[in-house]
Amino acid sequence: MPLRLAISTWRQFWRRLAAFFRDEHAEKELAREMRAHLALLEDDFRRRGLSADDARLAARRAFGGVEQAKERQRDARSFVWLADARRDMRHAARLLRRDPLFTATAVLSLAIGIGANTTIVTVGNALLFRAPAAVADPGALVDIGTLTPGGGFGNSSYPNYLDVRRRVTTLDGVYASGLFPRAMSLSGAGDSKATERVFATPVTGNYFAVLGTTAAAGRLFDADAVDRPGIDPVIVLSHRFWTRRFNRDPSLIGRAILLNRESFTVIGVAAEGFQGPGVRAGDLWVPMPVSSAASSLANRTAALFLVGGRLKRDVSIQQAAAELDAIGKALALEYPAENRGKSFLVERLSPVPGARLPITIFLVLLLTIVTLVLGIACANVAGVLLARAAARRMEIAVRLAMGAGRARLIRQLLAETLMLFVLGGLAGVAMARVLTSVLVALLPSLPFPVNVSLAIDGRALVVTAGMVLVAALLSGLVPALQASKADVVSALKDDAQAPARLRLRHAFVIAQVAVSILLVVVAGLFVRALQAAGSTNPGFDPRGVELASLDLSLAGYTSTTGPAFARDLADRVRALPAVQSASIALVLPAGFETQRRSVRVPGVEPPNGDRTFGVDWNVVEPRYFATMRIPIVSGRDFAAVDREGTQAVAIVGEGTARQFWPGEDAVGKFVVQTTVGPGRQITDRPLQVVGVARDVKASTLIDGLSQSIVYVPLQQQYMATLTIVARTTRGQRAADEIRSLVAAMNPDLPIVASQTLEEATALGLVPQRVVMSVAGGLGAVGTLLAAIGIYGVTAYAVARRRREIGIRMALGARPADVVRMILQRGIRLTVIGCAIGLLLAAGASQVLVVFLFGVAPLDPVVFGAAATFFAVIGLAACYLPARKATTFDPLAALRCE
Amino acid sequence: MPSKETRVELLQGTLDLIVLRALSTMGPQHAYGLAARLEQVADHPLNLNQGTLYPALVRLEQKGWIKGAWQTTENHREAKYYTITRAGTRALESQTERWRRLAGLVDKLLLHES
Repeated sequence: MPLRLAISTWRQFWRRLAAFFRDEHAEKELAREMRAHLALLEDDFRRRGLSADDARLAARRAFGGVEQAKERQRDARSFVWLADARRDMRHAARLLRRDPLFTATAVLSLAIGIGANTTIVTVGNALLFRAPAAVADPGALVDIGTLTPGGGFGNSSYPNYLDVRRRVTTLDGVYASGLFPRAMSLSGAGDSKATERVFATPVTGNYFAVLGTTAAAGRLFDADAVDRPGIDPVIVLSHRFWTRRFNRDPSLIGRAILLNRESFTVIGVAAEGFQGPGVRAGDLWVPMPVSSAASSLANRTAALFLVGGRLKRDVSIQQAAAELDAIGKALALEYPAENRGKSFLVERLSPVPGARLPITIFLVLLLTIVTLVLGIACANVAGVLLARAAARRMEIAVRLAMGAGRARLIRQLLAETLMLFVLGGLAGVAMARVLTSVLVALLPSLPFPVNVSLAIDGRALVVTAGMVLVAALLSGLVPALQASKADVVSALKDDAQAPARLRLRHAFVIAQVAVSILLVVVAGLFVRALQAAGSTNPGFDPRGVELASLDLSLAGYTSTTGPAFARDLADRVRALPAVQSASIALVLPAGFETQRRSVRVPGVEPPNGDRTFGVDWNVVEPRYFATMRIPIVSGRDFAAVDREGTQAVAIVGEGTARQFWPGEDAVGKFVVQTTVGPGRQITDRPLQVVGVARDVKASTLIDGLSQSIVYVPLQQQYMATLTIVARTTRGQRAADEIRSLVAAMNPDLPIVASQTLEEATALGLVPQRVVMSVAGGLGAVGTLLAAIGIYGVTAYAVARRRREIGIRMALGARPADVVRMILQRGIRLTVIGCAIGLLLAAGASQVLVVFLFGVAPLDPVVFGAAATFFAVIGLAACYLPARKATTFDPLAALRCE
Repeated sequence: MPSKETRVELLQGTLDLIVLRALSTMGPQHAYGLAARLEQVADHPLNLNQGTLYPALVRLEQKGWIKGAWQTTENHREAKYYTITRAGTRALESQTERWRRLAGLVDKLLLHES
């Protein structure tokens, strides 16, 4: 029986639920049934001989109240609480509509808080959790990184990859792919005759098989055939590229297209959405041996590849990690020269391999900031709700006195809060869509395409919804509990105080001020860090320098034809009217990229048993130093004499000179460039130092000056990927002129990237810039909210003390006295809030010190400015209501009681 | 109008039982038919407006004990006819049993006390 009972209770539950949602239908049905009932009754009465009118009346009487019967039936039909909830919602909506200013402010501030949170959650989701598209069982995929001494997860070299692939037993396949998609020029494919830059990712033949993706058309690489050198050049297109460029032309499969003027056969198209395991999004995939130089594939120290694999069934990631570590240790013994101290790391597949920890830290930092803002918004709403509850004390007390349930009242008050938060949440999600695109715009343009899907997905929405509910409960429950406590007697006595409620409201305001000042200080610290980074001398002058990146191999230049073209190009750029001085370089200081090389120095022993020194490396044309305004402190610049066939030369940085030849003149000394060739043979090339240049900041502006840097002339050590650097006259832009010049010299040579040096040097400061924008923007919002909070609390106090103020003024208090009296309380709140906030900020700055590069965590300027700023804001927010108090007409104030 | 004293207040829940019973003995009925039947059976006029039936009907329907369907009366009026279901019949048995025990108990108690 209990089972049957349970079933019938359950059934009843569902019917009621259905009835609730089919309300309309049930209502109509009921009305129809009652109409029919009355008709039958009427018929009966008429048969008994009553007139039509009398029959109708008699029927009504026999039936009883139609509306009452309907109401009773409704009660029986639906859940009382659900119907109540609906009534509460309607009631709440009415209240909110009645006070549009409050509603708008609350919804807007909540929208900012919630929107910011959703944005960060979305970014975190995309970078840390989202599985790659069109990949089979992503849970079993791992990233394999090389662990270098003193470094974290790094890239791997091809020979090491091959050894791992041969030896590993815990993985079901290990693939490798090029670090970044490579720019190639696609000419005359399809209908278009124009040359187009496309990005190709070099991959091993088993890449698609290990990732478990399928072909949308044609076939994918054959795991074994493709890895052998000398195979036919074949490519697989991404679905997006196939769609964008070829309009999903199925006849393309099996045809050849020209890449870098070579013919490649399109064998297939990868599944829709597939872009490999990470955020890099190339247009097509090429086999590793076809696209990568034999030397880089043979070089065990060239860490240019990302390696990943798939765990075998029933193998845990720890087991795989242990095996890879063992393989790494074995390789270190077998190849001590290249692999000493190195091993392998295994991590779960991540869109950003090896960067999970720093990204997590960064996102947690941002998440903390946005949560604080949401907290401020909640405190603000809670504060206003408290005030409103106070205003409705009478109404609530009366309802309590008339027997309304306390739970019922709390529910009704909560409904109002919830509705605010739901509106705020919806607006927040809309705002998050805007904010994600703003965030993407803050990111620098990278030299290769990246596709991170920042769509706000189900996961982000669930998190947002949870956040909205928790925040609504937290900020609505306290005021609701407080309000429903209203005890009848004291509330009905009009002048009763509610000290607990006031204390609570003060606490909210203090919290708002504290959190806002915390945000403002954090933003200020990052502004100072960026200032410091910008103001310290980077060793060169980044202003007014135009950059254009080229890859000469795209147009088919080789090490024989390339140098002459580069020289010609530099000469012609110099001849442009807007250009003051120009040159060509492999890498730029303070940019995104650095190049490292190994050198030996005769007579100087490297520390801790190494055979070579690692140095920053750059390949430049003459006049590079003049163009960048890097002073040459001794010796000479490169010149026409430094060409193929003459003595190999180098210019070293001051730090390098000090390190290798302390106290001596470096000019005339030798460094030996050591390269490991394809057959592991080591080539030595002595370079004579002809000059010493002032040091520059090599990687980012916030890093220290480069410790050791060596420059070599392009004419002696040709590289195909180059950047034109052109200092323009009075900061003019010359990008278009350079572009048309390059196009005129060789129409097949695309400009890979074009920007100014200042833009390029900004790259390294992106995290600081993002935090500054987020904390600054939200700090401003928080400050505004806090000001509204202070204003609200003061204005409320003034309104409550209207009579008292009236009496005081009637007794001769001067307006100044009144203002002082009112100000006191507001100022006290501000001061307490500031003190707490500054203490919090001092604590936070200790945590943030790693991001602050050189700025003292307790920077007196920032802390002082923030405190002053808030003092002014607090004063202003209190002064307005205080001023209003002085305008009270004592008589009116007294009479209004 | 019958005087107040002669009216019988229905105990909570008894109306459901009465409706079930009526449907079980008389077959499908509309609300008016049920109301007429109740008035007919009762020695005293019940304190029952005919509209009072509706909550009981909706309750029983939600429990799945009766089922309503629109039909036409012999006088070509439309009306919603209620039929007792299998679950309703079972429920009627157990509810009747319960009622008998309860009524017996109350009777006994009243006898003892008087």
